[in-house]
Amino acid sequence: MRKLLLALAIVLLAGTAAAQHHGHQSAEAFTATPAFAPDGTLWLVRATANRIAVMKSTDLGRSFSAPVAVTPESANLDWGPDARPHIAVDPKGNLVVTFAIFQDQRFNGRAFVSRSTDNGASFSRPQPLTADTISQRFETAAIDPAGRVFAAWLDKRNVAPARAAGRPYPGAALAYAWSDDGASFGKTSIALDNTCECCRLGIAFAGPGRPAIAFRNIFEGSIRDHAVVTFNDATTPGPVRRVSVDDWKLEACPHHGPSLAIAPDGSYHVAWFTDGTARKGLFYARADSADSAFGPPRALSSPDRQPARPYVLADGRALHLVWKEFDGTKAQVRWQVSRDGGRGWSETRTVAETDDASDHPLLVAHAGRVYLSWLTKAQGYRLVPLEDQP
Amino acid sequence: MRLSILLALLLSLASICGAEAAGPLPFERGSWAKLRASHAGQPTVIHFWGLTCGPCLVELPHWGKLQAERPDLRLVLIAADPLPQEQDRVSATLAGAGLANSESWSFTDRFYERLRYEIDPAWAGELPRTVMIDGDGKTAVLPGVADLAQVRAWLDAQAKPSR
Repeated sequence: MRKLLLALAIVLLAGTAAAQHHGHQSAEAFTATPAFAPDGTLWLVRATANRIAVMKSTDLGRSFSAPVAVTPESANLDWGPDARPHIAVDPKGNLVVTFAIFQDQRFNGRAFVSRSTDNGASFSRPQPLTADTISQRFETAAIDPAGRVFAAWLDKRNVAPARAAGRPYPGAALAYAWSDDGASFGKTSIALDNTCECCRLGIAFAGPGRPAIAFRNIFEGSIRDHAVVTFNDATTPGPVRRVSVDDWKLEACPHHGPSLAIAPDGSYHVAWFTDGTARKGLFYARADSADSAFGPPRALSSPDRQPARPYVLADGRALHLVWKEFDGTKAQVRWQVSRDGGRGWSETRTVAETDDASDHPLLVAHAGRVYLSWLTKAQGYRLVPLEDQP
Repeated sequence: MRLSILLALLLSLASICGAEAAGPLPFERGSWAKLRASHAGQPTVIHFWGLTCGPCLVELPHWGKLQAERPDLRLVLIAADPLPQEQDRVSATLAGAGLANSESWSFTDRFYERLRYEIDPAWAGELPRTVMIDGDGKTAVLPGVADLAQVRAWLDAQAKPSR
C-alpha cells in the first residue's frame, strides 16, 4: 500500500510540475522605439517582458549604454501586437517616455508618462497620463514644432455611460492632452468617439499646436477604415477626413494601425493595412493639403506576401516608406523613397531581413539622413541608414 | 478507511493535474504539415480562434454544442493569437466551451508570419476562421464567425457514399 501511495505522489508531483511548466508560456512585450536628440544621440526605449528601460547610443546604434529602468517595479506591460512605449526628446534635451500596462485580463489599459531631466541618468516615477481609470491604450507622445508635448490615446471612459443610457458604444474614444514640459499633462479631452480600439495611432504636425492623427475609425455599419483628423488649434479637432473606402466590415479588431507623415509642403501621406471587400493588403495614399481629399490608394505589395506594419516618414523633401513582408522563409523590411512629394516612388528594395520573430519596422531621421530602426529576435537591434542602400 | 479516502483524493488530483499538463499541442514551424498529414484522407474541420479575439469567445460554445451533436465532426482547434498565450488559459477556455476533448493546438512560436504563411500565405491573421478539408484534401474557408448550418451541410455531404 505504501508503494502505491508513493507512486501516486510521484504522478501527482510530476503532473503539477508539468502544469506549472506550461503556465510559463505567455505573451510578452518585445519592442524597441527610437528617437534622436538634437545632438545626434539615439535614444531607445525597450519593452521587454515586464519592464521598460531606456538606453542611448552615440555611435548610431553600434553600441548602447547600460539600460536605465523607467518602471521601478515589475509591470504587466501592454503586449498588444500594435502597442509599444514611445520616447520623445524636447528642445531642451529632456526625455519623455510613455507606455501602457494591462490592468486586468480583459485588456483594459492604463497609460503612464515618465520624464528624465538629467540626460537619461534617471527617470521620474511614472504618472498616469490621465486621472480617469477605465482604460487607456495605444498612447503616443510627440513634441510639436513649438516644443510642447502632445499625447493621444484610445480611451474607454465613454463606453459605460453610453451603455447605461441604452446606446451601443462600439470601439473607444480618441483622447488627447497637452503638457508644457512632459512632467504632467493637462485636461484630457475627447476628440472623437467610436474609433477602432486596438490599433496604433499615427501622429504628425501640420504646424505649432496643430497635431494631425491618422487612426482606424469605425464608420457606419462597423466599417473599420482609416481617417485623419487635423486640429484647427491645440484644442479644436477638425473634421474626420476618410483616407480610403476599403469597406472592411469587421466586428473585431485587426491590431494593425496606420502611419502618417506631413511633408514640408503641407501634403499628407498615409500608409495602412486593410482586408476590406474593396481592396486587401497594404496601401499608400497622399493628399495635397490638410483640407484636400486623399488620392487613390496605391498597393505596396501582394497580399500573399503578408505585407504589414507600414511606416512613412517625411525628411526634408524626401518621403520614405517601409513595411514588413514574408517570402516563405524570411521576414523582410521593404523600402521605397519619393523625391517629388509622394507622386513618384522608387523601386521596392529589401533593406533588412530575419528568419525569426521581429518587431515592426520604424523610421527615424537625423541631420538629413533617414534610418530604419528594427528589433529582431535573431539579430537584436539594428539601425540601418537607408541612403547607403545600393 | 481514511487511507482509501486519501487515495481517492490523490487519484482525482492526479487526474486533474494530468489533464492540465496535457494542454494544447504547441503549434510551431512545420506543425501545419504534421497536422494535415495526421488527418489526411479524413474530412476535417479546423477552427482558428484566439483568447484575444472577442467574437471567438462568443462563438466557441456553439462549436462545443455542434461537437456533442455530431460525432462525425472531426474537429481541430488552433488558438492562433498574434502572440503566444498562457496554455492553461487556452485549455480552460476550451473546457468551458465543452471542447475539452477535441484536438487542440496553440501558437507557441513568435514567428507569427511564418506560421500563418505555412497555413495560407494570403491569410492576414484575422480571427475567427474555419477551414473545412474533405477526404480528397479540397479546402473550403469560412472567414469570420462560421455559419454552423454551412458546417452541418458540409458534414452531411461528406457522409454520402463517394461518387
